[in-house]
Order: sequence, then structure tokens, then C-alpha cells
Amino acid sequence: MGESVLAAEHLTKRFGDRVAVSDVSFEVPAGEVFGFLGPNGAGKTTTIRMLVGLARPDRGRVRIRGLDVATDFARAMGHVGCIVESPDLYPYLTGRENLLHFARMLPDGAAARIPELAALVALDGRLDERVATYSLGMRQRLGIAQALLGAPDVLILDEPANGLDPAGIREIRRLVRALAEERGISVFVSSHLLSEVEQMCDRVAIIHRGETLATGPVEELVARAASGHRFLARPGPRAEEILERVFPGRVEKEGPEAFLVGAAGAEIPAAVRALVEAGVEVAAVERRAPTLEDVFLEVTGGETV
Amino acid sequence: MRFLPLVENEVLKLWKRRRFRLVLAILVALIGIIVFAQVEGRRRFHTKDWRIDTQEQVARMRNWMRQGRLPDTQRRWVQFEIARLQYHLDRNINPEDTSGPLFARGFASASSYLLLPLLAIVFAADIVSSEFSEGTVKLLLTRPIGRRRVLASKLVALLLAVGLTVLVGGVVAYLFGGLAYGYRGWGMPFLTGFRMTPGEALDSSAVRAIPLWQDAVLSFGLAWFAAAAVAVIGFMTSVLLRSTAASMGTMFAALILGTILPRVASTWEFQKYLFVTNLPLPDYATGTPPPIPGMTVPFSVAVLAVWAAGALAVSFEVFARRDVLA
Repeated sequence: MGESVLAAEHLTKRFGDRVAVSDVSFEVPAGEVFGFLGPNGAGKTTTIRMLVGLARPDRGRVRIRGLDVATDFARAMGHVGCIVESPDLYPYLTGRENLLHFARMLPDGAAARIPELAALVALDGRLDERVATYSLGMRQRLGIAQALLGAPDVLILDEPANGLDPAGIREIRRLVRALAEERGISVFVSSHLLSEVEQMCDRVAIIHRGETLATGPVEELVARAASGHRFLARPGPRAEEILERVFPGRVEKEGPEAFLVGAAGAEIPAAVRALVEAGVEVAAVERRAPTLEDVFLEVTGGETV
Repeated sequence: MRFLPLVENEVLKLWKRRRFRLVLAILVALIGIIVFAQVEGRRRFHTKDWRIDTQEQVARMRNWMRQGRLPDTQRRWVQFEIARLQYHLDRNINPEDTSGPLFARGFASASSYLLLPLLAIVFAADIVSSEFSEGTVKLLLTRPIGRRRVLASKLVALLLAVGLTVLVGGVVAYLFGGLAYGYRGWGMPFLTGFRMTPGEALDSSAVRAIPLWQDAVLSFGLAWFAAAAVAVIGFMTSVLLRSTAASMGTMFAALILGTILPRVASTWEFQKYLFVTNLPLPDYATGTPPPIPGMTVPFSVAVLAVWAAGALAVSFEVFARRDVLA
């Protein structure tokens, strides 16, 4: 991939004896939304800190448009907009003052983009209020506007859905897709929610205990994860007995009358028939979407989060 | 990338954080109280002819010296005061004569060892650490500008703030002092150059009169220098500790040490190499005895400059290299 906009090469970071990030590599081509998926504490934020030059890797390097962040910091950062960990802006300044502040740190012309960006993130109505009065969702959007001030080629967002309500998450998702598809910006998004990454990203890397376990298109990883079904049936003890007979060792009791069964769709009709014949009332059978944990089970071969 | 917009950012943040306004309010309140108290005090105790007043004062101090129970530093100071007052008596100049300009000049020496450094620390302690505690450092240091330039813009803003504080202090002192004692007198002769001989007698051979404004400019310049040096050291603690409270606490403790040490351990000579001991510069520029014998204005300027240069070197190296994990 000669055209990768953001490339991490063998990033490794230790804190004392603890290895926070170990040999992490990936490339993000132009216009792609790349997900960085892992549970809290997996090393996502540490990796991001290295991507944007806040922390120095013990080994490996980061290239942005071919520029090494360690040796060519200022030029490399000219192509990047980011939110690291949380959208922290100056609470005692207004939204506009914050944007003007960061525009002064960019080449001329950045300030002229403020009205357009404020409209893009739907903040134009509240831009002259102090950030202290903003909701978390508004701060997140202001953070994105700030990140876009320099017309970057790559946008790095750390858990952008954190603390947002479903409408806010949808809004961010729509915005990220639009930036990638309409402006050709590469977006690097970290998350601990598979569903979020699944809906927003083209490709994903899964990070666990500082190591990338798998990298690939989202559908591929989701398809690899074992799917399961949830049975709601009563009486509970009788239902459990039957299910245990049909799927030995694959039944997990979720509640008195709810059971998770690690089985694919083809095996389900026979199980329903067996339950009905035994006089069990089946209230519902639903396909359960794979979770991050399922994907982990798959890629680690049994190790859970 | 131009540098001035970065300084503009830092000044804007200092202003919006209400630091300037706080410091201005402190200066007005403090100077107001001092002027009021002085005026009240003079009304009560200086009712007679100034010659009689001064003679009584000299006699009282001579008495203290004879009783011989004064600690070393105070002996030196009392001896100097006696000689200075006697010098004024001999030439028929009222040593207590005051004016707005004289009060302003007095403010420079009275504030350079504690008040101005304290206010400088109010600015310095959080100019770096607040970016860490607010998390904004992550944005500030991921912009296409090197870390040293970002830190340099903060340093310039800090020195501007300290300069403005000293200037405002001087102006407020002149305005309030003038209100109480009259606004004229910048051209009046000011006696300077008193010296103690090694035998602890007053050496008045170098005493000369210069216009008061000249001495005031020198005093405020030295007070600014002292406050700026403290600000730079506070800047370093702000970089190192990344916490406003810890940085303020450390610097306040150092300043307080500086006011206590010469009194309780005046024989420990090494303290003249500490920055806090060298802060009362404008005081001994005119010839009052320095906290430790042998300290001179050039010596103190040099000590403060070395401390400030060291603090800057440490600040910039640490800030440029350290991982940001805030």
C-alpha cells in the first residue's frame, strides 16, 4: 500500500515492567475509516498517544503521509486532526474562542473555516457560549470541528461515542462516514464496542493486552465470530433439560427462563420441535448479534476479555 | 509558523482565566490598606517637630544597642538606621518626609521580596500545569508546532504578565500614595550610596543625591528582575510537577523560607546563593545592609540570573522530551 496516509510500524511502549503496547503495526489508506477495537486498558489510548507524538515509542515509528512523527513532528502534524482520550477544550472560553485559539496555531486561513465547520458539526447556534456550559456531545462535536480546522488528511478519534446518547452516536457515525466518503479523509477510530465499529468502519484491527490479534474488513471478523441464539421458554427447569440434551455443553443459563445457546441457525428448528414436543412453551427464539467478546473468543481461541 | 499568534493565545488565556483581574484586585486592596494604615499611624505618633521625633528615635535605638540583646542581623540594621537618621539630622533633612513618588519607590523595595514574587507565582504556577489538569495539553502539543515553541510562547506571556504586575503595582502605589501625601516630588533629591564599613560603622563617603525618579526606575527594574526570576523558577515547578497546587505550595514555601532564614540563621553564609535570599534587591541598592554581609546588587543579579537560566534549561528539556500522559 504505497498510498497509506497513516502507518504504524512495530510500535512498542513499556511503562516500567509493563508492556502497554507491543509490536503494533497497521496502515490506513486515504478515505478509509479504520477501527481500532479493544477493551478498556488494551493499549488503544497509548497507541494513539504515539500516533500523534504525545508519547515516544520505545520501538517502531509512525509515519503520516510518509513523514516520521519522531523526526518531522511539525510537518507531520500539519496533516492530522485528533481527539485523544476525551474532547478537552478550554472550558472558560467560548466555542468560537477555542476554535480561534487553535486556528492561530495553524497556517493562515484556518480561522476562515470556522463558520463552515461549526455548521458541519451543528454547533453554529451555541458557538458564542462558554464551553463549560456544553454537554458532552457538544464538546465531542466541538472537538471534531477543532480537529478539522487544519483541513487534515487524517482524523484520529479516541472513543468518539463515549458518553453520548444513541442520537449523538448516530450523528457522529454519519459525520465520520461523510468525512471519509465526501472529503477522502482517513479516519482512525478507537472503540470498545463492536457494534459501533461494525457500523462505522471499513476495516478494523483488534487489540488485546497491547497486541493486535487480527486485522481485516469488519464483516470478515464478525462472520468469524460464533453466532448464538437466545431461547425464552418455560417452565425453565424442563426447558434447560431439553436444550442440554439437544446441545450438550453449549447451553448457558441467562435467567430462570432464558438460555443462551451457542448454535447456528440450521440447528434451531430441531431444538424448537424438541421443546414443543416436551410440553415446553417457547415464547421467543432470537439470534444474538456477536459481541466483542465473541470475536475475542474466536480470534484468541478461547481467551475471554 | 509565526510566533506572535502563540503569545496572543497565552495572553488571552491568562486574561480569560481572570488571573490579571485577581492580581490587580490584590494590588489595589493591599496598597490601599497600607496607605490608610500609614496615614493613621503618622497622625498619632508624629505630632511634634520632626527633629525631636527623629532625635527620640535615635536615642531609643542607641539604648537598644547598649542593652546588647539584639540578634546579629538586627544589630546591623539598627546601627545602620541610627547612622542614616543622624546623617539626615546633620543636614537638616526630614527622613520621614514623604510624598506620592517616595511612597511608590518604597513600594518597590517593600514588595520585591514577597508580594511581587507571590503574584508572579500566581501566574507561573498554572501556566503550564493547568493545560495538564484540563487535558488541553493533548491538543496544544499535537498541533504543527514544536513543543519548545509552545513553551517559549508561554514564557513570553508570563514575563509580560509579571512586567505588567510590577508596572501596575508602581502606578497604584503612586496614585494611592499621592492621594495621601501629594503627587509631586519625582525630582526631589534622594540620598543613596550608604555603606557599612567592615568595622560596622556607616561609611557616608559614597553618599550622593540623585533625582528620586532615577532611583525609582532602578528600584522597579530590580523588583521586576527579582519577580521575573521567581516567575521563571515557578514556571519550572509548573512544568515538573504538572499540578498548580503542588507548584504554588513549593514556591510559597521557598519564599517563606527566604524571609525566615536570614533572621534565624544569619551566620549561615551559603544562603546567599539561594534565590530567595537575593530577592530584596531594591532594598540594598540604596545601601541598607543586605541580608548577609557581602551581598551586593551585581552579586544578587548574577545569582538570580544563574537560577533563572538553570530553571529555563530544565523546563525546556523536560517539557520537550517527556511523554504526555495527561
